[in-house]
Amino acid sequence: MPTDTTRPNPRSTRTSAVRAASEADRGRAFVLCVAAWLVPGAGHLLQHRLARGLTCLFVLPLMFLLGLLFDGALFPLTPITQSPLTSAAALAERCIGAPWIATAVAGWGRGDVVSPTYEYGWVLMVVAGLLNVLVVLDAWDTALGRK
Amino acid sequence: MPSHFFFLLIFSVLVSTVFAVLQKDTVAEQIRFALTMTAGFVAFAVVAGWLMRLFPL
Repeated sequence: MPTDTTRPNPRSTRTSAVRAASEADRGRAFVLCVAAWLVPGAGHLLQHRLARGLTCLFVLPLMFLLGLLFDGALFPLTPITQSPLTSAAALAERCIGAPWIATAVAGWGRGDVVSPTYEYGWVLMVVAGLLNVLVVLDAWDTALGRK
Repeated sequence: MPSHFFFLLIFSVLVSTVFAVLQKDTVAEQIRFALTMTAGFVAFAVVAGWLMRLFPL
């Protein structure tokens, strides 16, 4: 049976178009995730999910701020072999984005180890960062149409 | 100084709020989920506190 090899295969054309659109979606989702990391809730606000975005925009920085007010500390990024838990807490705090950056630049967050609220403080700061990771992942899923 | 229970409430309410808006879609479901989760946090803390009282270290 003679085969026509001059015409492009419509199936492969459709597949590459779908692949290109998928990569564009992933690129856009990645940018949204960076925004969501930097400003808690921004990833949802940019996708017009106002309730989720505004709630996270308000609650997560509030949590971080309360942690600072309760004498919590910004943990230094030590080598993981030196102090794994401190490194983990440091990474978690950095996941909140702009609040961490502003605190570090302003020189706040030295903490007060002898304060009775010190433990509550740093736990609130660490958990705020970890919750922002969940928010970023939710923004990713929303951008890819999974939610 | 505020009590431990006060800090427990603050933590529970804030964490429950975030989980509620991420997990549920309607406002009614979100409020119900947040209240349930907050109550769960507090109840677990109270139960765990009483259990730890049995094993003073």
